[in-house]
Amino acid sequence: MQNASSLTGSSDPNAVARQLMQRAYNRDGLPEIAMGLIFLLASGIIYARAVLPQESIGFKLAVLAFALLLPFLIFGSPWALEWVRRRYLMERVGYVQRKPIGWRWIALVIVLAALLALALSEAVTRLLLPDRWLLAGTGLLGGALIAWCGRLRRFVIEGVLMAATGVFLAFAGVSLEIGSTMLLGFQGLVTLVSGGVVFLRFMRQPMETGE
Amino acid sequence: MSAKIQRLAEVDRIIHEPARLMVVALLAAVKEADFRYLHQSTGLTKGNLSVHLCKLEEAGYIVIEKTFRGKYPLTICRLTERGRGALDNYRRIIKGAL
Repeated sequence: MQNASSLTGSSDPNAVARQLMQRAYNRDGLPEIAMGLIFLLASGIIYARAVLPQESIGFKLAVLAFALLLPFLIFGSPWALEWVRRRYLMERVGYVQRKPIGWRWIALVIVLAALLALALSEAVTRLLLPDRWLLAGTGLLGGALIAWCGRLRRFVIEGVLMAATGVFLAFAGVSLEIGSTMLLGFQGLVTLVSGGVVFLRFMRQPMETGE
Repeated sequence: MSAKIQRLAEVDRIIHEPARLMVVALLAAVKEADFRYLHQSTGLTKGNLSVHLCKLEEAGYIVIEKTFRGKYPLTICRLTERGRGALDNYRRIIKGAL
């Protein structure tokens, strides 16, 4: 059991709630499994775009999947996780009804993400950044984001691994497409295995009954 | 400054207790949660959590509702307006003093 006083090192109730909910959210490993699958899918799509001829249906499907399917999965995965937990795991994880997220916030995040992607694409085109910078930048930025969002030791390790892989691939001199495929594929596997192990350990814990 | 520190004496002792602060903070961040979620999230023992929930309910800070979802029994806890106000007040006093 956790020590209550150690968790409330911060006296700010908001910080306490964030910390507790973050731990509860990642306790069963499902978010990592979802993230790992999305990374692997992204890796496959990028690889398909790199190797398929531009006139082929496969290439067009890959472009569509990159533009539509991936954002849908990224934004839809929290709802899917909630559904899975309520349908199959409620006796283990308990029931929680989160406050609804306002559509304004969702719209704002989508607009900001699109603007950021546009700005990055423009910067890459105008500054003619070499592939190795982009690979290293993706690894470092992605790794930092994973560590910051997860805020648990295993997420920090995953973030460090992603950053190191990005830097390694940058120095290996591979093309941007192949490097991205390898970076996301490796990260997807690491995240999937980590989430799988956490999930199996979670499911093997004896289920307590009664209140 | 000393006046702000002196206000610490006015802190709501029901909320100030670490275990109850965890419960109230969690319930403030969600719409509602059941006993098991609170038990898993806070790491408190079931007996301990039950006692703290009773104290919060007696103070009128939370409401506890026993229900079922299919065959699964749920003890749903929800923060009341009074509880939310008490938490806001607690937050103000602590922030002012620190």
